[in-house]
Amino acid sequence: MNAIGLHAVGLLGPGLDDFDGARPILAGDVPPTSREVQVPPPALLPANERRRTTATIRLALKVAEEATRDADRGQLRSVFASSSGDMDIIDRICEALTWPEPVVSPVQFHNSVHNAPAGNWSIATRNPAPATALSGYNASLAAGLLEAATLQLAEGGEVLLACYDVPSMESFIHVRPIHHPFAVALRLGPVERAPWRLQLDLGGTTTADRCISDELEALRGSNPAARALPLLEQLVRGAPGNVTLAAPLGRSLNIRIEP
Amino acid sequence: MPTHPGNPPATTRSASMDPLVITAHTLTSAAGTGITANAEALRSGTSGLRPCDLESVTLDTHIGRVPGVEAITLEGALAPFQCRNNQLAELGLRQDGFTDAVAAAARRHGPDRVAVLLGTSTSGIAATEAAYHRRDPQTGALPPDYDYQHTQNMFSLADFVATRFGLSGPAMVVSTACSSSAKVFADARRYIAAGLCDAAVVGGVDSLCGMTLYGFNALQLVAARPCTPLDRDRAGISIGEAAGFFLLERPSVEATGPLLTGHGESSDAHHMSAPHPEGLGAATALQEALARAGRRGDEIDYVLMHATATPANDSAEARALGRSLGPNPRAVGTKGLTGHTLGAAGAVGVAQAIASLDGGFVPPTAGLNVLDPELDLDARAEAEPRAVQRVLVNAFGFGGNNCSLLLEAAP
Repeated sequence: MNAIGLHAVGLLGPGLDDFDGARPILAGDVPPTSREVQVPPPALLPANERRRTTATIRLALKVAEEATRDADRGQLRSVFASSSGDMDIIDRICEALTWPEPVVSPVQFHNSVHNAPAGNWSIATRNPAPATALSGYNASLAAGLLEAATLQLAEGGEVLLACYDVPSMESFIHVRPIHHPFAVALRLGPVERAPWRLQLDLGGTTTADRCISDELEALRGSNPAARALPLLEQLVRGAPGNVTLAAPLGRSLNIRIEP
Repeated sequence: MPTHPGNPPATTRSASMDPLVITAHTLTSAAGTGITANAEALRSGTSGLRPCDLESVTLDTHIGRVPGVEAITLEGALAPFQCRNNQLAELGLRQDGFTDAVAAAARRHGPDRVAVLLGTSTSGIAATEAAYHRRDPQTGALPPDYDYQHTQNMFSLADFVATRFGLSGPAMVVSTACSSSAKVFADARRYIAAGLCDAAVVGGVDSLCGMTLYGFNALQLVAARPCTPLDRDRAGISIGEAAGFFLLERPSVEATGPLLTGHGESSDAHHMSAPHPEGLGAATALQEALARAGRRGDEIDYVLMHATATPANDSAEARALGRSLGPNPRAVGTKGLTGHTLGAAGAVGVAQAIASLDGGFVPPTAGLNVLDPELDLDARAEAEPRAVQRVLVNAFGFGGNNCSLLLEAAP
């Protein structure tokens, strides 16, 4: 695949409030704190819509906002990648369906779709450009990167990738042990004037890279979106390097990064 | 109000795109198992809808239920994938020689060069619904035999299909509600163009479950009688299920068949569950599909509409057609045959469009009694036998997510 530019990053996870603030942690200079993640309400949405947002929508929109601070939000295409989507709503609806007379909340139902963050993002940014939502289970980040990169190469312009998963609710925690929210956003575009140049290659069955920092390595496995951490470590290093992520079906996504 | 361009996005390239060939396909819906049965139902307007007889659902509505899904048992490496959605996928994959066609493509290109890009809205959620009924009464824990990864997770469908065929190309599941299985055609075009693969298995599967039936009912969008798209008295949707699969490749001496010549995608940026009343987003998708193919509106034989049969959806879509194709365009709604198959709706539409290209007829709008005079469409209750060259297929979803595809007859 041809090279693409990485223009900006958004980040939220335990002890990681945003990408710029997390640079010392990603560089290994400071250990991350285990502070609980606070997800701010999406400032771009009108109050009425904001009230109806779920934790999943707020998580996705937080990193999307961060990565598009200096972009034309009304134009860029977007890719929303998540393993599981809105598990809180799935839980509540499946619970309601066990009642003798099931009653499903209409707002919960329309927020249950995997593309609810994508829909809210397009409404919040008044953006008529195409938006998509996808899953690659634990490899959703690599699947999202391939999707965003092929979009950028085919259509030009900028493409927002947001990758996120909320923690599992109590009944699911043994089935799907995700304990903390984690989200990352990458704004891709032309190579020109990009702080980083990425060269993607869908490879064979190579093992995914681990984090350099032990603390971040512990986070990496805790949420499918946190699989981005080795890539983020490389971004702040300021030198060329290679990172391998797990791609769907046991493949690997090899990324060459050049500042 | 969001601003919305009335024209294709500026990023659309003016030169027409390289088309892809659909070298094999299959469709299973309430209207029939396999493409021959579906084509006959399409031509004759024979509905597969019936009163809701789904276990654990007590709603006064009609559904498009596929017979024989429950009888499918997934075995060996596929056993963990057992759930209604993958059972329906398996039933679909067994029809129309599709399995042999994919095996041949894997030999031709290599199994790592065949992508698996599929759409679904609810994946195997019926398995989770059933598991919630069997939770531990003390702890609330889900039963130990419940397998989230291989059933309810969105990726399960692509994982299942790739595992079944031994494919290891790029894989993912698009889940953008009712546009899901249309958008994967556009993805396949981009993945092949980027050199990630040489062929792609695309399409989608959605299956009946409590969440969608009760959810759409809560939104007051479900009709009691069989749905009647484009009709003056239309009263909402009937929910259905379907599995549609397609093998896409670059045109060559060996690879022949109907062509995907255009695709358009857009967002309404208006509301999560209601369409833009003027159909602005839908019109953008239609115009982009035409522009990519280098076609004018008057070169299209008809539009296979999304036409869900809710008053608002059909009205907004009719306006979008008027904006894109001019007054009184020829249009067809087919959800009276199959019900609204949600994430599979795009795949159903493409398979129906191919049936009409191959069979030489413009399909009737099944269930149409009195065409809504407000819609300004040329929709008919009877099939019209004539050569068909080009069909636009629409699929629109919650979140204002729109996709249009342009299918053309084999050259």
